[in-house]
Amino acid sequence: MMEHEFKYAVIGGGIAGVTCVEQLSALCPDDKILLITASSVVKAITNISKVTSILEDFCVVEKPSVYISENCPNVTVKQTRVTNLQAQKHKIITDEDEYEYGKLCVCMGGTPNIISKNCSYVLGIRDTESVQEFQKRIANAQRIMIIGNGGIATELVYEVEDCEVIWAIKDKSISKSFIDAGAAEFLLPQLSQDKQSSTGSAPTKRRKYTIDGNKFRDIGHGTGTALGPDWSEGLLLKGLDKISHNVKIEYNVEVEAVMEKDEYRITLTDAEQDALSVWPVYVKLTNGTVYGCDFVVSATGVTPNTETLLKNNKFEVAEDGGLKVNDKMQTNILDVYAAGDICSAFWNPSPTWFQMRLWSQARQMGSYAAKSMVSHTRNQDILMDFCFEMFAHVTRFFNYKVVLLGRYNAQGLSTNYELLLRVTKGKEYVKVVLKGGQMQGAILIGETDLEETFENLILNKMDLSQYGEDLLDPNIDIEDYFD
Amino acid sequence: MVIRTYNEEQQYLEKISSCAWKIKKGFVPNMKVEGVFYANDALEKLMFDELKNSCHSQGFGGFLPGMKQIANVAALPGIIGKSVGLPDVHAGYGFAIGNMAAFDMGDPKAIVSPGGVGFDINCGVRLLRTNLSEKDVSPVKEQLAQSLFDHIPVGVGSKGVIPMTAKDLEEALEMGMDWSLREGYAWAEDKEHCEEYGRMLQADPAKVSMRAKKRGLPQLGTLGAGNHYVEIQVVDEIYNKFAANKMGIEHKGQVCVMIHSGSRGLGHQVATDALVAMEKAMKRDKIEVNDRQLACAHIRSQEGQDYLKGMAGAANYAWVNRTSMTFLTRQAFAKMFHSTPDDLDMHVIYDVSHNIAKVEEHFVEGKQRTLLLHRKGSTRAFPPHHPLIPVDYQLTGQPVLIGGTMGTCSYILTGTERGMQETFGSTCHGAGRALSRAKSRRNLDYTDVLGALSEMGILMLILIKF
Repeated sequence: MMEHEFKYAVIGGGIAGVTCVEQLSALCPDDKILLITASSVVKAITNISKVTSILEDFCVVEKPSVYISENCPNVTVKQTRVTNLQAQKHKIITDEDEYEYGKLCVCMGGTPNIISKNCSYVLGIRDTESVQEFQKRIANAQRIMIIGNGGIATELVYEVEDCEVIWAIKDKSISKSFIDAGAAEFLLPQLSQDKQSSTGSAPTKRRKYTIDGNKFRDIGHGTGTALGPDWSEGLLLKGLDKISHNVKIEYNVEVEAVMEKDEYRITLTDAEQDALSVWPVYVKLTNGTVYGCDFVVSATGVTPNTETLLKNNKFEVAEDGGLKVNDKMQTNILDVYAAGDICSAFWNPSPTWFQMRLWSQARQMGSYAAKSMVSHTRNQDILMDFCFEMFAHVTRFFNYKVVLLGRYNAQGLSTNYELLLRVTKGKEYVKVVLKGGQMQGAILIGETDLEETFENLILNKMDLSQYGEDLLDPNIDIEDYFD
Repeated sequence: MVIRTYNEEQQYLEKISSCAWKIKKGFVPNMKVEGVFYANDALEKLMFDELKNSCHSQGFGGFLPGMKQIANVAALPGIIGKSVGLPDVHAGYGFAIGNMAAFDMGDPKAIVSPGGVGFDINCGVRLLRTNLSEKDVSPVKEQLAQSLFDHIPVGVGSKGVIPMTAKDLEEALEMGMDWSLREGYAWAEDKEHCEEYGRMLQADPAKVSMRAKKRGLPQLGTLGAGNHYVEIQVVDEIYNKFAANKMGIEHKGQVCVMIHSGSRGLGHQVATDALVAMEKAMKRDKIEVNDRQLACAHIRSQEGQDYLKGMAGAANYAWVNRTSMTFLTRQAFAKMFHSTPDDLDMHVIYDVSHNIAKVEEHFVEGKQRTLLLHRKGSTRAFPPHHPLIPVDYQLTGQPVLIGGTMGTCSYILTGTERGMQETFGSTCHGAGRALSRAKSRRNLDYTDVLGALSEMGILMLILIKF
């Protein structure tokens, strides 16, 4: 018998959605929960049995519903696409059926922005589907172009081997949204070095995420789930040539035009045409340079996936296109919550927190939204999860561990702050942001062992002015000092 | 504050034995008792280098050398005995790390100071034994490590695995290991082998602020970064077979697990809250100290009592934390070896605290007195026949667990009568700085980075040195 009524429903099988469902299941083991996902479910893996080759992990594939219901027996998973939401009637309408919910959390993420929508040589890379596509194409490529300056672009530039890469960014320094120019300068030398062999065999200290879905049905464009922190692990990102890294960076440029081979040829003189090296696609940058390449990767961010929801419901939408949510993750529509890339945090945040569309925040929001939903059902008070007190994100760029805490780039502090800096070439980069003697944020690159100490100092709001620049003196064991 | 030359400072320091130095009154103003610190030749050099550097830079505020800190503690009201520096005593917030100081509860002026306990309240070490040998564990090292990581989350912003609600946290703060026992995360005999039986009775959750509780809630059962660890260890050498056997250590190559962790964010907030409250009260109570970081309150004052109750709560939280990790470790091992923790004989050998304040009875000049002992970076080490140590260790003395750093050994010691006399039953807590000194040698080079940053025009003021 088909279930049609559920106490809680979640739309979206990415990290936000899966975390939300898991949390709901843990809090309400007796209630019926529905998870609707248009494509493969991102699987959160807790017990990895390290086998001889990383690729073998990916061959162990289960269907999403089996995985979730094994761990959460009160959850039903439907792999189908939502076509409409009738929020007043508490109804979700899909390709195949209709469902009623008590409370709903939408975690539908965002759609990748593609610089040129119609060109088949331009590949957006943001979600699980597009990564698979990328893998196929890179195997036959000698040169590619990567457009974008965020986390995915940064990671991709480093991961790709045996292929020439032209990296075009609109900023003056790489990875602008994550690190400052100084840290960028610190990281650059890694690009001219041979890529270190994958650290895949060392145990990972964090919950791992992977893509579960070689067998998913192709439902339609733009329905893949967003990439998690380990998206590149186990993927063969190798091109044709035998070179480790060959990266050229073009700063301060945007894409003016993307032209296929013939389209471009006819703009040239005969002599130029003869001299031209032949590529399938050509990209003209705003600085006048034209590059030919096998294909172009557009890693230029996402637009929140609100189209379906806005068809029949008057959600309040923020400037960046996301659904506005309050400090309980509620949208303006009764019983509808939102988490992850699709939402825009519209409460008055703690001074050291801000929203960034990252997998770590997706997970935190998914979890907190679940707690919020349950507490409202039970008429209980709920306090905001402490993770929203201070921004914290850990990632890996160019084979270095990168930890970002609080207002790590002095975001929103205008000119009223001080910086402390300590750099050891090739090893570590430590930058601290201070305001009024209090630590507001920090960037830690490399194995600094300072993340917990600095997290505590930021949260303690301690007055550090008496230490001045001695705070980063390497001869003081500062971790121990504040222990 | 008087600024002296290095030579002048040395007039106040006297070597009293091959490994002990006396700090005479006058080294800093208002010393009520003398100071003493223990160091071998290598550590002695580090201590004096630290002092020398500070004299040269005419240190003002900032980081004081350990020796000065020990002396400043000797100037606190109500201190009794000596201000003791256990090796490897080095600079800390307020009190040095490795500083033990006892205060006479009978003296109405005696104080309690959060700096004498540390921010990571009840940071401590627990040792579990197993009946496995190195040869059992070696072939599956990576999988075992991975299994531990899967069970025990680590790192900034990581979430705990053992589900905990705000109500659970309240109970844990009050009941310590008794909560874990009730919830099924601990064995009854674990309590026996823990200081205070894993619960300080004076704890009061109401004295732990909301912010501290919020910081503590997501961190339960997580390890934290930095110098906290869960380490699988192998017995390398047994020096006293009798004592070892009493602890369940039978042979070389036996596998043990050491857990080093504390109260983390919750402890930090409790300490921070108390420092703020006490700084305010010091004017009212006319308490004077040599260093602002030595913010303190009379033991019997509202602020003093509030802190001790909050500190006890944080201590209970840390024991629950170590117990949760014990539970998760037992699960990880059981899964790995297809057995049960019971069959693997995974008992707690002992659990020691090295950041805590305790009320203890000690003999001072022949008379029994009730003292408030601050142990920061210092471990309790009670001798044989002491009433507070478990029955099975009555003949050997209390086990003292000294954690090493990566690459150095850890040690298990036992308490002695002499320790009881000289340092009120206290000893060191860790392997010391030798390794982190090596760590700190860095080739600092800013040219490229500075160039990029200044081009961006984003720097209003850079403070750099070194």
